[in-house]
Amino acid sequence: MKYEIEGSPDYGLLRVTLEAPGEQVVAESGAMVAMDSQVEIKTSARGGFLSAAKRKILGGESIFQNTFIAKAAGQNVWLAPAPEGDLRAIELARGETFFLQSGAYVAHLGAELKLDTKWAGVKGFFSGVGLFLLKIEGPGTVFFGGYGALHPVAVGPEGYTADTGHIVAFSSGLDYSLRSFGGMKGLFLSGEGLIADFGGHGTIYLQTRDPRLLADFLHPFRSVSSSNNS
Amino acid sequence: MQHKIEHGPAFAWLRVQLAHGDSIRAEAGAMVMRTPDVQMETHLNAGYRPGIFRVIWAFFVALLRKLLGGETMFLNDFSTTGASGEVVLAPSLAGSIVHKRLQSGQRLFVQAGGYLASTGSLDTKVRFGGLRTLLGGEGLVLLECSGEGDLFVNAYGGITPIEVRGSLTVDTGHIVAFDGTLDFKVGSVGGMKSLFLSGEGLVCRFFGQGTVYIQSRNVASLASWISPLLPG
Amino acid sequence: MQFELNYRPSHSLATAHLEPGETLRAEASAMVSMTRNLEVHTSFRGRPGAGFMQSLKRGFLGGESFFTNTFTAVNGKGHVSLAPKLCGDMLVHELTSSHELFIQGSGYVAAPDSVELDTRWQGFKGFLSGESLFFLRALGQGPVLINALGALETIDLDGELILDTGHLVAFTTGLEYEITKASTGWIDSFLSGEGFVLRIWGRGRLYVQSRNPGEYGKTLGPKLPARQQ
Repeated sequence: MKYEIEGSPDYGLLRVTLEAPGEQVVAESGAMVAMDSQVEIKTSARGGFLSAAKRKILGGESIFQNTFIAKAAGQNVWLAPAPEGDLRAIELARGETFFLQSGAYVAHLGAELKLDTKWAGVKGFFSGVGLFLLKIEGPGTVFFGGYGALHPVAVGPEGYTADTGHIVAFSSGLDYSLRSFGGMKGLFLSGEGLIADFGGHGTIYLQTRDPRLLADFLHPFRSVSSSNNS
Repeated sequence: MQHKIEHGPAFAWLRVQLAHGDSIRAEAGAMVMRTPDVQMETHLNAGYRPGIFRVIWAFFVALLRKLLGGETMFLNDFSTTGASGEVVLAPSLAGSIVHKRLQSGQRLFVQAGGYLASTGSLDTKVRFGGLRTLLGGEGLVLLECSGEGDLFVNAYGGITPIEVRGSLTVDTGHIVAFDGTLDFKVGSVGGMKSLFLSGEGLVCRFFGQGTVYIQSRNVASLASWISPLLPG
Repeated sequence: MQFELNYRPSHSLATAHLEPGETLRAEASAMVSMTRNLEVHTSFRGRPGAGFMQSLKRGFLGGESFFTNTFTAVNGKGHVSLAPKLCGDMLVHELTSSHELFIQGSGYVAAPDSVELDTRWQGFKGFLSGESLFFLRALGQGPVLINALGALETIDLDGELILDTGHLVAFTTGLEYEITKASTGWIDSFLSGEGFVLRIWGRGRLYVQSRNPGEYGKTLGPKLPARQQ
């Protein structure tokens, strides 16, 4: 099978071509844009019931993923992330790990790829909001999207500091500590603003826009629900 | 009349140069700027030349469109009082604009919200993609465009044309437009279980020969994605 | 100090490269990332004429921020990467003592200390357009980083133009403006969706954005889950 990302970096769109019958791609529920007719969709709870339920309770990630299986040769599946922004592919070697914000996952190729939740607890980036980090282990290809462009930064001995609202993913080999940033406390309707000081050696993927700011911007435009809701 | 789509594909806008006698019709709220000699006249959005005796019907159709399609009730006609004039038009969401020149006998279906502007004697009729879709709360409200003229369609995200080879399944939220030569049917993606569990909303299956224009972003997906970050 | 811009025009990111001891002032919500050797101070920029709690609430919801961060590079060079709230372009306007720049509230991102920001300039005050038009007045000299929702169009005007108010990002001295009805009739102006527009004339520069934040919010907002209050 092969894939192509078009529309990068404005609005990444992924086209996966399943060349032979039986080939498959797994995607986050809601990611499908279009597909050729000889494709079967199977809905499943990835990684067994418990970890999927854990994901749902913790919020963000959908409890189900869709597996698209080709029933004929040369079948295309078009997939897109939800936010306005770019889409990237990361090829992971066997045993290679990658950490991805749960809301950024779009799809993956490779039956042996492992997707585990890594509950960061109190050290979670979006404290109080229920989004968390996915720990991904290769072999396989992971596709992820962000709000804005995806900007990779190589972290060296001097370390690097990033606002948590902008962190999408990072490679293994990095550690981080969180702290609040002057003036950011109470800045967002959705919680406290935190920044992460990274150390170690690896790559951080930043998204050039912060989804919390979009949420703050859109909030006043929401309709007000009637008070009869219980 | 000359037109140019600028700042595409991400945040495209449409720049139109009008000569004396030219006119372009655009959805309400689309104007960004215009030169002082361009004038604007507002009409009800109910099809071309509704005629005086159909005003009440036109108002009803326009209201229906607004409630079901998210399309505005009014259209603005821009023309110039001088020898020339310029008007710039833009849609409300992020994304591209594409131009289609329709010949008489051609039909193009555009998802409501995708209509930005048109010229000439284009006729637009409201069509629903299955009554079921309305009952389900998911609207596939379409504008059937026919006649001769220029049509400017906007999308949320980028626009990708896909040739239908026999059949194609598209998530309804991602449809921008499609050729009138195609047959289409709205339904769930694969049985009841998948409707509730798969996260895909309704899909539209296309059959026959023609092109479907898809947009790479979808308002419903954006809403679910941003939901966890919204306060109560 | 140098600004480096990437990912233009849709998802632009601005990186300010600071020499040792150099300082940059930016809106508090604009920080994306930075080298670890930057000293940061936060200050509150009040908005006169409004009650404290009320303006604080409005400040975070209305696109205007009340906190500014000052970044200073210590022990060597450093950089800070900045981005505005919504997707779109950014550019640097070189301010000189020959003119002033009036920037719509959410259009301002950052500038060095050599640029003074006056928040007291009321601009379109007293006008009931239903849109909150809050403008900052920038004077002095240096690079001013501004942003747009969508693409930024630079117009060097020598004449007259009618512009939808939500599409205006910034304009220089030399231009005059008047708020006027979109159409000849009041009813048409309301129904047209354009409401009130700006008539701008004179000789100067204006920056226009290809999307209107109010329209963007009104299109997406109702599609989101309803709020309690």
